[in-house]
Amino acid sequence: MEFLVNNENMTIEIGKKLGSLLNKGDVICLNGDLGTGKTHFTKGIAKGLLIDDYITSPTFNIVNEYEGRLKLYHFDVYRVNDPDEIYAIGFDEYIFSDAVSIIEWSNYIEELIPDEHISVTIEKLPEKGINFRKIVINHFGNRYNYVKGITL
Amino acid sequence: MRILSIDSATEAASCSVIEDDNLLGEITFNYKKQHSVILMTIIDNLLKNINKTINDIDGFVVSKGPGSFTGLRIGMATVKGLSQGTNKPFVSVSSLDSLAYNLAYTDGIICPILNALRGNVYTAIYCFDDNKLKRLTEYMVISLDELIPLIKEKNKPVTFIGDGIPLFKEKIKDSISNVKFAPTSLNFVRASALGELGLERLLEGEYDDLYTSAPIYIRKSQAEREYEKRTGKDINE
Repeated sequence: MEFLVNNENMTIEIGKKLGSLLNKGDVICLNGDLGTGKTHFTKGIAKGLLIDDYITSPTFNIVNEYEGRLKLYHFDVYRVNDPDEIYAIGFDEYIFSDAVSIIEWSNYIEELIPDEHISVTIEKLPEKGINFRKIVINHFGNRYNYVKGITL
Repeated sequence: MRILSIDSATEAASCSVIEDDNLLGEITFNYKKQHSVILMTIIDNLLKNINKTINDIDGFVVSKGPGSFTGLRIGMATVKGLSQGTNKPFVSVSSLDSLAYNLAYTDGIICPILNALRGNVYTAIYCFDDNKLKRLTEYMVISLDELIPLIKEKNKPVTFIGDGIPLFKEKIKDSISNVKFAPTSLNFVRASALGELGLERLLEGEYDDLYTSAPIYIRKSQAEREYEKRTGKDINE
């Protein structure tokens, strides 16, 4: 499904709706160029998970952990050269745990992503205006059918 | 010789103190991996309750893996710290060896399976030969479908043990006829089993190097995985 947004609050709002529906062990892959609003989307998900902490991008520390309605692992694998590096930190133990995992730049570690996951892609729409974004949410696996219930 | 052993390769966190042929005490929790939180506390608790201090320990034993990456690192780091601080030797022993040893003197073969995620298990095949634990294969990370033929070709009764059982029990029962499963009371890693195996080695003067000893993680390298993906063949064939 696709959403057209023209400000960051709308990005956060969609994230929040997704966040409020997430279950234990869900995996969300988040892709989009620098500055498209991936971190804002994650902030929204965190709100939906009832996390009060301030969310920052884990670009330099690879993963941040938060406590909420469910535990959240927020990965950013932008700096990773080789999927083996991420595997070696014990990636599987994170993503196959009871926590929700969000993985920014998951396309860099495709071989490690489980078949069943939610994929969120954010794209700039410069022809419409500087703040316009297209947010595409796809899901793989029946456990994620609830995604269809998200509306703006 | 009095040794302290620690196993943190799986969900369980376990520590024990063994004095020669005598197990002085053991604490095991098999609940939500929380090794970094409880490991030092249970060691402290155990020592206090047997009226010993860390300086009464002559050597250490730690689980070498395979198993949880995080757990293995916590165990290894803890034991290296204790070993260096007390200037006493340590030795690392495979968690699979220690699980198999839980089923000492079982007839036929013993197959520990630990959940390695993505449908795989960490495993090796063992038997007791002349009352000694003998490993018949390499340590492996393989799918259950790959493991079953390896078991069948041994053509012996088999007993499974380990945290992979709940996940794979039905499938194993359907594929192998002469099969048993470890009872609940034995079906987790125990620092005492690990410690006993480690103590033997320490007594023989065998110990790990503080700087080079590392857990065994077992994973095919990316080059191997790519080769297999490209050719559809196992690199070892």
